[in-house]
Amino acid sequence: MQTKSETQSGSVIERVRRALGRSGPLSAAPTPPKILEPVTRLVHSDIGLPELFASRAATNKMHPEAVGAGEVAARVVAFLKSKGATRIALPNSPVLERLGVLAALRGAGFEARTWDQMTLDELYDYDASVTDVSWAIAETGSLVIKSGAMHGRAISLVPIVHVAIVEAGNCVPDLLDLMEILGKEGVGNNVTIISGPSKTADIEGALVTGVHGPGEVQVYIVQ
Amino acid sequence: MSEPSLRAPVAIPVKSGSATEQFVEEAQHALFDFQGVSSQNAANARLKRAVNKATLHQYTQRQAVMPDLPDADGLRTLAGEIKQHAVENLDYYLEQLRTNVERNGGHVHFAATAEEARRIILDIAKRANCTRVIKSKSMASEEIELAHTMEHLGMDVVETDLGEFIVQIGKDKPSHIVAPIIHLDTAHIAEMFSKHFGTPYNDDPKSLADQARLHLRDKFRRADLGMTGGNFLVAETGHICVVENEGNARQSVTTPKVLVSLVGIEKVVPRLADLAVMLKLLARSATGQPMTIYTSIFGGPRKEGEKDGPEEFHLVLLDNGRSEILASEEYRETLRCIRCGACLNACPVYRKIGGHAYGYVYSGPIGALITPLFKGLGNYKDLPQASSLCGACYEACPVKINIPKHLINLRRDIVKQHIGTRSERFVYRAWAKSLKSPLIYKISCMMQKFVLRRRARGTGWVSKLPSVAGGWTQVRDMPAPARKTFHQMWKKR
Repeated sequence: MQTKSETQSGSVIERVRRALGRSGPLSAAPTPPKILEPVTRLVHSDIGLPELFASRAATNKMHPEAVGAGEVAARVVAFLKSKGATRIALPNSPVLERLGVLAALRGAGFEARTWDQMTLDELYDYDASVTDVSWAIAETGSLVIKSGAMHGRAISLVPIVHVAIVEAGNCVPDLLDLMEILGKEGVGNNVTIISGPSKTADIEGALVTGVHGPGEVQVYIVQ
Repeated sequence: MSEPSLRAPVAIPVKSGSATEQFVEEAQHALFDFQGVSSQNAANARLKRAVNKATLHQYTQRQAVMPDLPDADGLRTLAGEIKQHAVENLDYYLEQLRTNVERNGGHVHFAATAEEARRIILDIAKRANCTRVIKSKSMASEEIELAHTMEHLGMDVVETDLGEFIVQIGKDKPSHIVAPIIHLDTAHIAEMFSKHFGTPYNDDPKSLADQARLHLRDKFRRADLGMTGGNFLVAETGHICVVENEGNARQSVTTPKVLVSLVGIEKVVPRLADLAVMLKLLARSATGQPMTIYTSIFGGPRKEGEKDGPEEFHLVLLDNGRSEILASEEYRETLRCIRCGACLNACPVYRKIGGHAYGYVYSGPIGALITPLFKGLGNYKDLPQASSLCGACYEACPVKINIPKHLINLRRDIVKQHIGTRSERFVYRAWAKSLKSPLIYKISCMMQKFVLRRRARGTGWVSKLPSVAGGWTQVRDMPAPARKTFHQMWKKR
């Protein structure tokens, strides 16, 4: 298999090289155009990022609310009760632990399980998920989740309700800043940027939410 | 244009009435009849209403959000430069991409043709014993007719984007790069659902989407092969970037044990930072959203301890004619295209005839341009004429492909390569001759003036033109020429 793909790659890259009129590989790496900050950047300052994020997230039809660290667990419990959810999935997250979310959910009678306590298949039977996020982008009002062993890709995708906890300090100004961070920290094998509830306008332009991902995204911004 | 591969697995009988049969049949018609199909579509009021409504909406949305950008024109220039740079150093970036994908633990395959791509993907599926496929939307997979081939081989393959799912159950074809069922209205879709699922007719969009969600959720849960396309490939890190609104592409990269991404070789960008530039333009241009709902950046198999994501990851890089376009310095620029569909929405011709009239996967202005380049100018010689050259497509293009200029160049190529019909060639030659000779020009002007003024009968308007010109006066009058020509007036001064 490996050798086969070798010869195939040889031929396509060869064709490309010939098409470009080159006889061999470039001797040095080419220099791509400079990313012009004034043209590309939309958010220039670090001031008021959580507020900007909240306003953009609201435009994206998520429901952002600013809360204190002490009250977030109670707010999550109250919200999920109002949704009639019973089975709640969570990543194994030090943030959620520190904020007492898991304990509060269990204390309130929810069947709350962390990612290490379930299989991927079982997740399909959960009503809601509560996750932390790696970053939030103020420019676009987006949540960014870098997944891994502790935080499965499916948690913020499969259940119909997603509650996201954003720590105010994790807001970055612009997409450019996110890419810079990812460049430094590494992308890993999956990063998801979420900018609203799952939606479609395929049926004659009618907006429908909750197609394959969550239909509702509740966001608590912890000061 | 007909690919023998379509008929390759002949050992399996083609089900009569199946989409595959229709494809095989159509593949045998080498020449595409643009005139016929477009005239037919332009007369279909229901189609025209649906297409017009949706394209105008997306176009207006785009216009509304572009001013969010501090310098939209400057950003389009930059995006165009980045893509042009990537394309002009494609050999370098493909090598870099391959090295990095392999470093991340993925497998890289290069497919020179559609046939080769199909074979590679089917081999991967076979070796891993995969039979249940969830496929997210991808134009490259439309190019190689992957879903049909898989269906044909008895695999359980399902298109999971709602629009593409409707295309699949309707044995239809997508008619827009971004909005595949732009040609169908809600009543159409409701009828199709009722027929497919055997449920009562219901034309509430939310109920229809919920019905699809329920049906597809079960497919997601049990799939063993996930397929995606790719909007961008990041050479410096070896990652694939996919944008979507529904969450079905996320499903493809999450649940199945094997993941295959099929992407055109021209989708490479050098750096992660380039994604910021491209993402700021892509969704704005396509649907007028600042960002799509989901943007996934992924690559490589799951790592130790991870409970989701693929165990095996394959990137299939598709050439299928791209390197030939690359070889033309003139048309190389068309490989910048990021498939946003903005030119379709902006095009007054597309809005009247819809996507199917263009006869191939890519429609609208960009389709009129790249389809002849991909599939042979001789087979699609009418497509470069499917434009009024108004320039709206160029103005909308996020990577500034000068579509009108290239369409004119294709028209030139048609003449140079003697692809046009004999009568066309005669008319153009006569026209060229008369424009080059002042005497013949003067005589032909005088004759035209005489005939037209006589037809106007002193009213100042010509209400009926003869023979081929008759179409022009079907819906409007033509002003009669002035008594004196400009030349005559100029001489008198």
